[in-house]
Amino acid sequence: MKPVNLLVIITLILSASFLLTFASSYIVPTENLRRLALFYLVTTYNPETQYTALSPEGVTAIVWDYRGLDTLFETAVFFLALIAALSLVRGLYAETPPQEVSREAGLSTIVKTVTRITAPMIIAVGASVALHGHLTPGGGFQGGSIVAVAPMVFMVIFSSLYVLRKGVTTTKMLVLRSIGLIGVGLTSIAVFMAGLILGELGYVFQNMPKPGAPLGMPSHVGGTLISGTLWFFNLFEMFAVAAGFTLIFIVLLIAGKKEG
Amino acid sequence: MDMAMVNTYLLIVALVSLFANTIIAIYGIFFKPHYTKKVISLTILSDTLNLFAVYLGFRRWVAGQNPRPPVLVSEPTRDNIISFAQRAVDPLPQALVLTAIVIGLAVTLFLIFLGYMLYTHYKTLDMREIRKLRG
Repeated sequence: MKPVNLLVIITLILSASFLLTFASSYIVPTENLRRLALFYLVTTYNPETQYTALSPEGVTAIVWDYRGLDTLFETAVFFLALIAALSLVRGLYAETPPQEVSREAGLSTIVKTVTRITAPMIIAVGASVALHGHLTPGGGFQGGSIVAVAPMVFMVIFSSLYVLRKGVTTTKMLVLRSIGLIGVGLTSIAVFMAGLILGELGYVFQNMPKPGAPLGMPSHVGGTLISGTLWFFNLFEMFAVAAGFTLIFIVLLIAGKKEG
Repeated sequence: MDMAMVNTYLLIVALVSLFANTIIAIYGIFFKPHYTKKVISLTILSDTLNLFAVYLGFRRWVAGQNPRPPVLVSEPTRDNIISFAQRAVDPLPQALVLTAIVIGLAVTLFLIFLGYMLYTHYKTLDMREIRKLRG
């Protein structure tokens, strides 16, 4: 046996033992872990406190309000990965679609008809998951992932050049992705800019009025709960994620087609 | 056996499965020669660790009470919020795992395109053959 393999096996055994030692005290999670959770659970939708996010859904409140900056950087990382992937395959995919794609390309008529019927449903489900992200489990990223299934199904069922011919090009998707990211950025500094204009104190990523910072986004619009910035974040994140995934699928399928 | 013991047993089964999954994934990353299988093993590893984080945030079982998702479905009165905070699972690991999933997706995306470039250069994704080809 080569010494490298022996080293790897010893490392595996040692690290697995370490993990087991660490986790043996958490076979059933202790009550100490609970104290951190109680703060978020109590304040996430509590009009009596001044530190609330006014969102019934705890996870979205943490993702976009309590820890909003983390999520902004996470979105930035995804965007940078997308840019890196595009720069790796640049020149390998054709930007302009061919003029003639035969109607017989793709699967049979039955599958195409069913796809035409179900694609709007997929998009509707994705939009529903994203826009209700502050009320029910879900959010911008999950909704955007669901929406991106529709173009992928179209690319598989029809030919992969079909969506290009219909105008869903990589440039447009990149522009849509950038618009989503700009929307996220503008929403994050909305209260801050309003504070600059009105002469009040406001913070970046501020959602609801806090003690000492009396400005905040409206929590209800026309009697409907939108949880301030959370609704806008989910909306723009849905656009960004859906466009990003569509871009990846287009590049992967078309680059694979050209190079075999 | 009462319900609490059954539930503890099921939780421990899940935990042991997570450890087995981790070991299998690390084995796949190190010893599988094919690039795609290495990437698959990496995603299995990251998913297992995410599940482990969610497990740590899972609530200690209280007899006769099911843990609830961290979503408040009733009016935000004081009594409702207190009972909600007693029964809901920890939302913080779930939010962190959401972030980790997206970061892992970005890494996987980059690795896939890197593998694509490897294939266009070497016409193979087998690590043993790529090593033979002068790096």
